[in-house]
Amino acid sequence: MAAQYTKGIAGIWDNEAGILKAARKTREMGFTKFDAISAYPIHGMEEACGIQRSWIPYVTFIAGCVGLMGGLALTYWTSAVNWAVNIGGKPFFSLPAFVPIMFELTVLFAALSSVGALFYACKMPRIDPPVIDPDLSCHKFAIFVPFNDTGYDEAKLERMFKELGAIEVKKTEY
Amino acid sequence: MAEHKHVDLHVSKFEAPAKLKTLSFALVAIGLLTFVIGLMKNPDRLWTSYLVAFFFFSCMGLSGLFWIAINNTAKAGWSVSIRRFAEATTSFIPFILVFGLVLLLGFKKLFIWADPAVIASNPVIAAKTAYLNPTFFVIRLLIFVVGCMIFRWVIVGNSLKQDVSGDENLTHKNVGPAIGFIAFFALMFSFFSVDLLMSLLPTWYSTIFGIYCFSGLFQAGLAFLAIVIVLMRRSGLVKGYVTVEHQHDVVKYLKGFSIFWAYIAFSQFMLMWYANLPEETEYYIMRSLGGWMSISTALLIFRFVVPFLALLPRAAKRNDANVILVSVLVLIMQYVDIYWMVYPNFFDGQVTFGFWEIGIFAGFAGIFLLCIMNFWSKHSLVPVKDPRMHEALNHHVAY
Repeated sequence: MAAQYTKGIAGIWDNEAGILKAARKTREMGFTKFDAISAYPIHGMEEACGIQRSWIPYVTFIAGCVGLMGGLALTYWTSAVNWAVNIGGKPFFSLPAFVPIMFELTVLFAALSSVGALFYACKMPRIDPPVIDPDLSCHKFAIFVPFNDTGYDEAKLERMFKELGAIEVKKTEY
Repeated sequence: MAEHKHVDLHVSKFEAPAKLKTLSFALVAIGLLTFVIGLMKNPDRLWTSYLVAFFFFSCMGLSGLFWIAINNTAKAGWSVSIRRFAEATTSFIPFILVFGLVLLLGFKKLFIWADPAVIASNPVIAAKTAYLNPTFFVIRLLIFVVGCMIFRWVIVGNSLKQDVSGDENLTHKNVGPAIGFIAFFALMFSFFSVDLLMSLLPTWYSTIFGIYCFSGLFQAGLAFLAIVIVLMRRSGLVKGYVTVEHQHDVVKYLKGFSIFWAYIAFSQFMLMWYANLPEETEYYIMRSLGGWMSISTALLIFRFVVPFLALLPRAAKRNDANVILVSVLVLIMQYVDIYWMVYPNFFDGQVTFGFWEIGIFAGFAGIFLLCIMNFWSKHSLVPVKDPRMHEALNHHVAY
């Protein structure tokens, strides 16, 4: 599995303010492939890292529409085509009766597709990934710059991270 | 926040625009004129149109108090800077009492269950007289309106006191009354809507009628709040305090409660349609005949489908013109919804709308506008001394 992880350099901070400033600075330096690692979402981080909006909502919307149409097709085919049963004298094709199923399938398709798209976007599942620092899941924050980013220079990055108040700078994989 | 962005904070004093004030007085005059002429010329139409407008503006006033109550209960910080906008609508609540008493003048015209001849000839209505009788009706109305006035006096009063003293305990003191109000409101607003709207067809009942009316109330209240936020932001009176982030979240709320309205409306309709019991379907049959069918369909499309799709994208919630358009549409549909609950009971198969409805609505609208303008010109537009203000100032809607 080792091949799927990239070598690079990581700076570690012990406070939110430090990593926000560092992320902004790293982006200003022209790096584009870097990542900020935190145990929880930090307000303002998406702007600091220059992350664009996710494409996942579009997946949700399209999957929801597919679910809606799928629900209509399923209920239509089962109750009006394949096995038409007269229920309470109502027409075989009775839209109000189909709405709950259409609604549920909309939600089901939209939700599962979003989770699926999230897994794909985050390249999950990651089995046994390299650990930069065990405390990153708790009270520390890191900026990771991969070696193949434009203008990658270990010495320069290390100096910059230290200047920005990093408590530790590591050569690592992520 | 880690980054110290320089934010220009400034609350200006609100001064009611002279034109809007004149317009409001003109609207009140139109309403008064319509009322007087209507009493003499066409009392039937007058009282039905009065009931619709009365219920519409009662909902507008109550929605503000309910919104404040849930925010106080949840100890929400983000919404603090827009609280005054909701508080302003509550200044209409005392008028619910005034206009509710005026409504009693038209009691005989509106509520057939009060007519002894109807009771004698209809055993179903006769069986309901323990609840549906004029005395109990008035008692319920008074308990509801006076109760709301007391809760408003405490909750909004504490918020206004804080402007002077800056005492943060006032915020904590508001949590209890807010919870109390939600419980009181849930019960008494159900009675209010059952009494005023559902009892127009006394043989019919729906067990979620109160929630249906509430869903419309809250959706319309949020639409009004969204309009106020956009206009206030653009006017520059609340620089830095009210941002596009607040607008985004209120509109998100509005979209959510558009779905809630559709959910409740469909729940009410679908069960009756499926079970097909004569005493339940009566209501929907009346609303599917003649011109009423097109209004029933319009409700589904313009109260749910259009607002839902128009408010779905992120950019749509941050687009002022779009927000105003959709909110106005929701407000119109709230009126149409109440109209749709009232009129088919009186006008079989014939959509009847005209001068009377517009005139009475104008009168109420004028008073409502004067109420909120009066509230804002008396008090600060933003509760600047609220202890949770820093949360509202840093409010940020992530992607």
